[in-house]
Amino acid sequence: MSLPEFLGRRLLQLVPTLLFILIVVFVLVRLLPGDPASAILGDRALDADVERINRELGLDRPLPVQFWAFLKSVATGNLGNSISMKIPVTQLIWERLPITMLLTFMAATIAVVVAVPLAFVAALRRDRVADSVIRGGFQVGLSMPVFYVGLILLTVFGAKLRWFPVGGYGDGFLDHLYHLFLPAVTLALSLSAILMRNLRSAIIGVVDAEYVTFARAKGLRARLILFRHVLRNALISTLALFGLSIGTLLGGAVITETVFAVPGAGRLMIDSIYGRDYPVVQGLTIALAVLVSVTFVLTDILQAWLDPRVTR
Amino acid sequence: MTPRRMTFLAASVAALAGSTALATAQERGGVMTYGRYQDSLFLDPVLNDANVDIWILSNMYDTLLLPTADGQGVEAGLATEWSVSEDGLTVTLTMREGIMFSDGTPITTEDVIWSLDRARNPDNGIWNFLLAAISEVTAPDDATIEIALSQPDPAFIPALSVFNAAIMPKAAFEGMPGETDLEKATAFAEAPIGSGPFTLESWDRGSTLKLVRNEHYWAEGADGEPLPYLDGVTFEVIPDDATRILRVQSGEIDGAELIPFARVGELEADPNINMELFPSTRVADIILNVRPEIEGAENPLSDVKVRQAMNYAANKDAIIQVVTFGVGTPTSSFMSSTTPLHTGEGAVFPHDLAQAQALMAGSGYPDGFSAEILILAGSQDELGIATALQQMWSQIGIDLTISQVDNATRTEEYRNGTFQMRAGAWTNDIADPSQITSYFAYSPTIEALHSGWMSEEVDELFEASQSEMAEAARADQFARIQEIYNMEGPIILLYETPYPVALQQNVKGFNQIPLGNNIFREAYLETE
Repeated sequence: MSLPEFLGRRLLQLVPTLLFILIVVFVLVRLLPGDPASAILGDRALDADVERINRELGLDRPLPVQFWAFLKSVATGNLGNSISMKIPVTQLIWERLPITMLLTFMAATIAVVVAVPLAFVAALRRDRVADSVIRGGFQVGLSMPVFYVGLILLTVFGAKLRWFPVGGYGDGFLDHLYHLFLPAVTLALSLSAILMRNLRSAIIGVVDAEYVTFARAKGLRARLILFRHVLRNALISTLALFGLSIGTLLGGAVITETVFAVPGAGRLMIDSIYGRDYPVVQGLTIALAVLVSVTFVLTDILQAWLDPRVTR
Repeated sequence: MTPRRMTFLAASVAALAGSTALATAQERGGVMTYGRYQDSLFLDPVLNDANVDIWILSNMYDTLLLPTADGQGVEAGLATEWSVSEDGLTVTLTMREGIMFSDGTPITTEDVIWSLDRARNPDNGIWNFLLAAISEVTAPDDATIEIALSQPDPAFIPALSVFNAAIMPKAAFEGMPGETDLEKATAFAEAPIGSGPFTLESWDRGSTLKLVRNEHYWAEGADGEPLPYLDGVTFEVIPDDATRILRVQSGEIDGAELIPFARVGELEADPNINMELFPSTRVADIILNVRPEIEGAENPLSDVKVRQAMNYAANKDAIIQVVTFGVGTPTSSFMSSTTPLHTGEGAVFPHDLAQAQALMAGSGYPDGFSAEILILAGSQDELGIATALQQMWSQIGIDLTISQVDNATRTEEYRNGTFQMRAGAWTNDIADPSQITSYFAYSPTIEALHSGWMSEEVDELFEASQSEMAEAARADQFARIQEIYNMEGPIILLYETPYPVALQQNVKGFNQIPLGNNIFREAYLETE
């Protein structure tokens, strides 16, 4: 099977997955107690107002009818309008999701940059002081709650040392990067710990493999062995883990975005669930599902390149 | 001249100089950054539904009359004079001369008529009831607005100062794309044109909302130049309380709203921060379902003696200490002490355990009962209240279960009348007691907070008060309503709290009035 063929098949598999997610999210938001009108109007709602608004939103129609209408509009790329903000959901996603994507991308980059070298050091100095220090340090990082780490970073590097802004998103691309650095570090902490541990054991496994011993016996230089044989093979399992972690990272962004006042999609999702803003919850779920699926496909491609057995 | 007199003269000169300095102290320019816990949702005065919009709308949209700084009365706005006819059926207003919208087009009587007609249309939004008394709005000449009422309405003048009665440009609004009022309003609210002291510059949803000064605003500052003093106001959305406070402390923003009560003392002690506690109309209480049965089960809260026992057993001072860290004060009525026609002083039910136990013994439930309270998941205040009450009521034999749910879930149980108890809070939107009384006590509106409580006397008094133009008679009606409701009503009266706002020391002239509106028109930044 060639790569394009492999890719096509993977993309085709996305369709039923997305359809399934569509049904689940559509039903789930409606299973939650309460309705959009009373969630928005709150305690002051008069029965007549609630009924009128739910009727205007078409929520008095039978569920299958609502779902069919929803499906038809999704097929044409229309995700409806937000109930609380009135504007199109696509506009909201377009405004907010890239921020979360940038944050996730930065966090993933930081996690990799930190985890990969340290994993090598830990693996090659197995059970010595460096290994213990690195593993111990990550253990502490992994066990601290995200919002707490975030607040400590904000207080120390933001309010006290003034190296970074105390939350917010800034104006312009470089300013965005500057504002997102602390949240990205916060978000990267647990991922880098997981990646480091996984990669360390993978490297240890590979270093002891026969083909590495053989390469060494051939008299290849240590650096060549390390990059061509050890890293490439050790990365295969870590890459799969990394791909899966992107979904978790997007989830973790919700808390990070709240603490750091980053106007991303995570925060929007939480507000919309509380506000029973069905179209926004549905639209965001679809967008996130596509995003995660695309990440999986990209991971598969990378894996296929690293390990030709995958496409075979 | 004796040395003594000289000293006196010098002192008066100094005093004079001091007062002059005070009079010209307002400085112009600068942008004030203000941290909010949540972003606005929809910037249309008529179709909005939430405090996050209501509390900032008046900076962009002006009304014929304005609420006074103490939130209890009205003052001139786009109209300079107003009068009510003898029979209470005609309201005549004189328009201010030379007023313009933020885009420079003049404000005409046609805009006023159209705006009020849109605001009172029963199909538009949830606030039209405030203007329901209007039967017709006309303009006898270019400077006069005449409003005919179908019945006298003592709350009508204050209603003209409420956000939904804002004057909007008819031509600009109707020129918006879309078929329905909602579609046009959605387009219009993206770049609103109003006549408030500021106008919208840009809005990154969930992040920042920027206002710039409206060059055409009519009011003058203390220096004789047009208001506002500021070049602009930037709202930053900072949902996390701790982060919002950190940003004020680090000097990155000029002010932050909704400081948790637990942090008020600390910020009051901070020399760099001006911790303001603006008087509010906010009251916190527990709403009780008083129906004899809830979903088939017998409900002890239907017994008025039980409710009174619970009120006596609740130690308001202790709750105020635990939950508001001493910032709150006990409510002396179901409406806040800042509401016009409020009566009472001190807690309605002072803490008295013996009295509570005696009332329980004389009730239909001498051995106590189990009950459930719904509180908002994640709300420290409500959890504190419920935990304190759980302990206090155990002394009169009530076994209280605390259920934490999200807002929409609670609202559903509330509206269906299937809740037993819930924590509640309220702020007025209008400088008049009729709005809160309508929701709390008048049974036809929402069955007295969906409690199922009903008093024929209260309903009759309220209906009579709706067209009672004699101030004293109306005050008597509301005094009696409060007496009945406070003693027998479906409610545990807790406390009222101010609006806690943290400001930099150089921020002057900012006000959050008791109705909640953030008023930036006279705010300025001192540069030392």
